[in-house]
Amino acid sequence: MGRYHTIDHLLLTEKAKKLYREERDSHKILNGWFLAKEIAADNAEGAATLHPELRAAQELEAVVEKLPLEISDYAIFAGTQRDAFAASYALINPSFRVETFRGYCDPLEVYDYATATAEVSKERIAAMRSRYAKTPYVEALNKVYGTYGEYTDEVTFFIEQVTGHMIPDFRPALKYGVKALMSGIDAKISAGDLTKEQVMNLQAMKQSLGCAVKLAHRYADIAHVQQETADTQRKAELVLMEKNLRKVPEFGAENLMEAMQSYILLWQIMCLEQAPNPFAFSVGNADRIFEPYRAMDNLSRDEAAALFKHFLVFFNVGERSWAISQNVLISGKDTAGNDLTNEMSYAILDAYYDMNLPQPILSVKLHRGTPTKLYEELGRFFFTPGALTPSLFNDDSLFQTLIEHGVAEEDLPDYSVAGCQEPLIMGKDNANTTNSWLNMAKILELTLTGGKSAITGAEIGPQTDYEPEYILKNLRALFYEKLQFFCDQMADAANGASRALSLLPVPFLSCFEGGLETGYDSRNVEHQGTPYNGSGCLIHGLSVVADSFVAVDHLLKERPEDAADLIAACKCDFEGYEELHDWLKACPKYGNNLPEPDEEAVEVAEKVSDMVEGLKNYLGNSFRPDWSSPSTHLTYGYWVGATPDGRSSRQMMGYGIDPLFGAADSGLGLRTLSTMKLPFAKMNGGCASHFGIDPKYFTADTPEGKGVQFYERVLRPLFFNPANNNRAPFYLYVNVTTGDTLRKVLANPEKYAPNGVYIMRIHGTFVNFLDLSPAIQEDIILRLDPKSTCC
Amino acid sequence: MRVFQKGFHYSQDGPGNRLIYHLQGCNLRCPWCSNPEGLSTSAGVDHTVEALVSEVKRSRMMFFDGGGVTLTGGEVTMQFDAVKELLSRLHAEGIHTCIETNGISYRLPELFPVLDLLIMDIKHYDPEIHKATTNAPNDLTIRNIRSALAAGQPLALRIPLVGGFNASETDAHNFGKLLCDLGVPGNATVELLPYHEYGRSKYHMLGMEYTMPDTAKLTSDQICFYTKILESYGLTIIKT
Repeated sequence: MGRYHTIDHLLLTEKAKKLYREERDSHKILNGWFLAKEIAADNAEGAATLHPELRAAQELEAVVEKLPLEISDYAIFAGTQRDAFAASYALINPSFRVETFRGYCDPLEVYDYATATAEVSKERIAAMRSRYAKTPYVEALNKVYGTYGEYTDEVTFFIEQVTGHMIPDFRPALKYGVKALMSGIDAKISAGDLTKEQVMNLQAMKQSLGCAVKLAHRYADIAHVQQETADTQRKAELVLMEKNLRKVPEFGAENLMEAMQSYILLWQIMCLEQAPNPFAFSVGNADRIFEPYRAMDNLSRDEAAALFKHFLVFFNVGERSWAISQNVLISGKDTAGNDLTNEMSYAILDAYYDMNLPQPILSVKLHRGTPTKLYEELGRFFFTPGALTPSLFNDDSLFQTLIEHGVAEEDLPDYSVAGCQEPLIMGKDNANTTNSWLNMAKILELTLTGGKSAITGAEIGPQTDYEPEYILKNLRALFYEKLQFFCDQMADAANGASRALSLLPVPFLSCFEGGLETGYDSRNVEHQGTPYNGSGCLIHGLSVVADSFVAVDHLLKERPEDAADLIAACKCDFEGYEELHDWLKACPKYGNNLPEPDEEAVEVAEKVSDMVEGLKNYLGNSFRPDWSSPSTHLTYGYWVGATPDGRSSRQMMGYGIDPLFGAADSGLGLRTLSTMKLPFAKMNGGCASHFGIDPKYFTADTPEGKGVQFYERVLRPLFFNPANNNRAPFYLYVNVTTGDTLRKVLANPEKYAPNGVYIMRIHGTFVNFLDLSPAIQEDIILRLDPKSTCC
Repeated sequence: MRVFQKGFHYSQDGPGNRLIYHLQGCNLRCPWCSNPEGLSTSAGVDHTVEALVSEVKRSRMMFFDGGGVTLTGGEVTMQFDAVKELLSRLHAEGIHTCIETNGISYRLPELFPVLDLLIMDIKHYDPEIHKATTNAPNDLTIRNIRSALAAGQPLALRIPLVGGFNASETDAHNFGKLLCDLGVPGNATVELLPYHEYGRSKYHMLGMEYTMPDTAKLTSDQICFYTKILESYGLTIIKT
């Protein structure tokens, strides 16, 4: 193993597995983020007069200097994300209940997840909570939530400040080292032609880069001390670790181990800077990032995979892998159409399959020229029960959509995924992806009721008093009018949250997001710090709204005498209107390749995409329509009364662009045809779709053969269908199993998941199915809809 | 063309993954019918042939493992002209075509040139019993089996096996003799479709009476015995 002669790949793998087990078993309390906040707050008190960017750099430096550090006996890389995350993410929290979930609108709520211990007293937590409550950021954010509470209480829309959710470009730092970047800053400042603010920002960025060196040296010192008591084998590992830490990330990496060590420390600081809970940072195309370093040593696939296993463990935090939605991508194409799969791509797949960890998410970029070998290698993921399944992207389609929305051609191969499936350009894009969440189904309900909630009776937004017949006859116009009102409010609220967040600058992240060129912070709301900028809007309720419009049309035409009853029936959840309810449910539904509902879905998607894109963010850039609902089709559906499509009150909505569960009852083939009609050219913020796939339809004898069948039977018709004259879909995730199988897993986890891990996908992330709350487990099972899962 | 149901199925009504269209309207009234919603000629959803051709062409990539399109019912030949046009256009596109029919149509042979597989039901060997139970005699079905075999048309026969109607040992021998006389052995397959009650709830929903007795159900031993008798006549019995 060349320069790693002290470590063979089998031993490395064994250590990676022990490291993961140790993380899960021994780190049930996550208080590191609390300590980091406390250190930062202490520092801030003495730096009140400093420029905010410089103050942020100084706080980060204090955290890096003072935070307790350790190196596990199983680690070959130093570094952890543990101190940036709380054990709080709702969906993998056993106490999560749809009924009580209110979104993440209280910036202080995270302090509920700081655990009182001998070291961190209850009083200390309470004191820090009070201090944090008085910060300008929390005050500004609370003001926004207070102003728009009327709309967010029942999730007509929701807004949040977006932390994490970006894709840093660490490649220059890996190659040249942060010291070279710091020298670059000096040179830029010396060259002049900068404003005073830019100079201060750059000085702050330089200071933050220095944190990476400080952190590495602190770890190197620990590795050095540990050598004194280590056995021969471990001592050799620690010597190598110390050597690496004295070199990277200060200087450029010259082999794969150094590159990964460098990357891990940069990532650690990036997350610390935004603690707590900067979810959904993405690595980007890990195969392209690391392949040059693998090649420097000519490492074998097994050797590279073994190192990558340790890299993967780094992304799993605590007992339940709390750092969710961090994304690793592989493969894809360049602008000339050449396939970019490399040896590292396959090593990464090997590492993922062997480790089968809940995080980080794996995504695979596909295109017409994707080699068959890649599909063969993916087969084992799709057809091993309980194994993780990668989400799938279509470069051919997404390149076109991105370029039509202003992405430069040379940047296209660098699109990556922030969070679930939102496409961003690595190192150049602040898209504030989860900034706003639009609940079209709730707005439909308010259109029907004249503005009164069918759930609570509260008056939400403008109140009207039209006759039921008038409402039904003019439903589309009234709905879009109301939608525009709420969109405008939502944009104002979302921009308010972004402005609040700008009070917390991120000089370190900005170094890897274009800040070294622009001299501005990524979060700056007056000067654009990143080459690309936008704000996200996750749009909910496509199938509910489209199917409801169709049902109302049929009612007016076929049963005009009952039209007056519809709104009353929806208000009382069809109680006493059972016959009408059945009739509404039997009306044509999107997802069966029926012209009427499918065309309606297309129209809704087009109009609402345009409406969202017409909204402007704090810099005057467009909001990006993102047709996805990361489990929020469930939580937001809880706040929506019965709808004319026959959906019952509080029932979930359809996921992303998918039909309502149970509504696509003509099989996966016709669902695919319906999906193909949607306007993917307008979905530059992203879109989400899930197929449940019954494994019995894949008949090949080997996983490799089934992988190719999976391409031929599911992916090729959806992504690369020559009979499709529209922009093809560009995202899909699948669960290849059945609801019956999952119920068996729940009933007998010892049999089906002896190691306690059974990986499934929910929205864009994968999770340990056994870790999920019961409500989310049931959501997964319901959406494995037997009538739309077969081919 | 009026369709009451459509969807994909794998290897059930023809080979491979297939898009199945259930056409509205039937000329028989078999009391065991599992799709009573398809009997009337007045229900269903209208589609132009053009729209169906377009849907099929967009589905082409999903016709894996030798799949294609199957028209079933109801009774396919009740909408003969539209069916002929649709099959002709699909055949010209190189798409595998199949129909499932009761064979009670004078015009059925007109479809042979555009059919890759003909699935035909023969419910009873005796014309009188056939007529008494289903509302029509079987002579046209038998004639069309002869025509299909004479034309070299790939043919798969199906016998709905219903206790008290056609499932006795004597029935098995009589079917065996008839199919031998027709030249079926070696030239067409035979599949037994044992009676099931999947349609029962639909009758209630449609306000129709479900008249099938419990004695119509068969045991696996009875089915096995029946199969062996047919095989003794040189018939190839398949199960899909």
